[in-house]
Amino acid sequence: MKILVFIQIRDDKVEENTLGILNKIKTSIQGVEIIGALLGKDLKDRWIQELGLHGVQQVVTATAPELEVFLSATYTKAMMKIINNVNPRFVVAAGTVYGEDLIPRLAVRSNTSCAQRFVDFTVEGDGLHFHTPVRDDQAMKVTQVVGDIIFATSRPGAFFVDENPTGTAPNVTNVSVTFDDADRLVKHVEIKKAERTVNLKDAKVIVAAGRGVAGKENFQIIRELADLLGGQIGATRACTDVHWVEETYEIGQTGQSVSPDLYIAAGISGAPQHMSGVKAKTLIVINKDEGAPIINYADYAIIGDMHTILPILKEKLK
Amino acid sequence: MKIIVFIQQIVSTQVKLQGVDYFDASRVSDDDLVINPTGKNAIEGALKLKDSQGAEVTAVCVRGIKPNKALKEAIAMGCSNAIEITDEAFYTDDPYLLAKIYAKALEKIGEYDLILLGVDEQSTSSYAAPAMLAEMLNVPSVLTAEEMEMIDSGFRVGHVLEGGKKIVEVPQKALISCSDSQYFIPRYTTMRGILAAKKAVIPIWSAADLGLETSKVNVDAASLKQISLSNIVIEKETFLINEGEPEEMVDKLLAKLKEDEVKLGA
Repeated sequence: MKILVFIQIRDDKVEENTLGILNKIKTSIQGVEIIGALLGKDLKDRWIQELGLHGVQQVVTATAPELEVFLSATYTKAMMKIINNVNPRFVVAAGTVYGEDLIPRLAVRSNTSCAQRFVDFTVEGDGLHFHTPVRDDQAMKVTQVVGDIIFATSRPGAFFVDENPTGTAPNVTNVSVTFDDADRLVKHVEIKKAERTVNLKDAKVIVAAGRGVAGKENFQIIRELADLLGGQIGATRACTDVHWVEETYEIGQTGQSVSPDLYIAAGISGAPQHMSGVKAKTLIVINKDEGAPIINYADYAIIGDMHTILPILKEKLK
Repeated sequence: MKIIVFIQQIVSTQVKLQGVDYFDASRVSDDDLVINPTGKNAIEGALKLKDSQGAEVTAVCVRGIKPNKALKEAIAMGCSNAIEITDEAFYTDDPYLLAKIYAKALEKIGEYDLILLGVDEQSTSSYAAPAMLAEMLNVPSVLTAEEMEMIDSGFRVGHVLEGGKKIVEVPQKALISCSDSQYFIPRYTTMRGILAAKKAVIPIWSAADLGLETSKVNVDAASLKQISLSNIVIEKETFLINEGEPEEMVDKLLAKLKEDEVKLGA
């Protein structure tokens, strides 16, 4: 099976969900030919070597000044050129913001649909079955894309990166692509990079809050509890979005990934976008809503108001 | 300015259904039927523009058991008018077909400036419909917006990005999908709105009204086929403390943590 993987670069490296997909493909599909589509303005050989190491046999590049930053129109155009050139059976991208933007567009241009946010896939005949959690992870839907070409995105955090990759240098080919005014209707202004001044990756204890914290001043108790336990604080994007807490503390798909021994989640509903960044040995939840999805993941849960419970917890722990 | 907002009606995810047929009308009460949460965020985005610039906001609902209920709520929030699009033949679990129906609806609506949608539909986890619709219409688009601001040439939009936020500018005739950021937190319905909703006559358009051949949007036309749908059983056992005074609850938690030898502290 010929598979085209949309390669995403973040922080000057191949993004880890993309590496996760490569690992999943290598270990699940026999006789596979993995081709990476790498787009950008200046592409580094280091990235290409890394892709080879992780099992990519061929890298097809497209370079242009317009490809410096992801924009739907330019990236869709360049990817279609690569697809027509490679003629793959399966086109896949990590379901990041860019991946989720791109894949449905490529599908439409190929007159078909796409599967999204799969956490697993199996080979069935000459096709694939995708497993996607739906309804806030209450149910698992298995789907298939019928037709000559299959499009899909994976759910971030779904697959592990191969720790000991042993691939070799890939072949590199290039497609040329040009753009016109119609491709430049959406203008890039800037990327506001969140300042990651605190690394939460190695924190053993994290006390995190979500929208339920309901205000900047209420983060005080979160900080106090974290200090008391010798841990760090964390937050969902809902909190960093409104600057209740510094954006460095954002945990989840668009923030940091953490794996502490203890994670105390207060006022966090447990949306997949947050939970995909949390792998805790013990999860304690404090939430008013017994129906919140996060309860399903909890080892211990108190159904109550965090503003009442946390001060009591702090006093008792002292 | 003429704004079209596409919403969907889903069975609230707060409702834990033991079965798997989420659209079995006999099993859910009217209260369980809600507008998809980010669809409501999209309504808020439209109403903010209506408040500041003056706009005609039309809510359109294609999916659901009782779309009329969702659309009345949209009007009660402040939308100017609403259109229900219903046909027994529709298969909307495939975002490609859903986007096709949207595109045809827009063709019938005729003139519009801005299209707003929620980033997802939650019931089938389909995030693809907004991007697909934008591609079919060939309009400039921004997905997963967190905030938007009107500028001379159109809109300046900030959208979600891993590790930060990205700012782009789009012309006024554009498609934007809205996330559940603070900016888009939906307003409540108002008494005035509820009265308007009561009086509102919401037209119902069928596939034929849209000039759509049902064979192009029914289950046989789907390229995303459902193989199965099953409940996820999480094997994790949760020690749940859901009664007692707050202090008792905390005591109960700490006692259990001690019993289980969970280390509190780094």
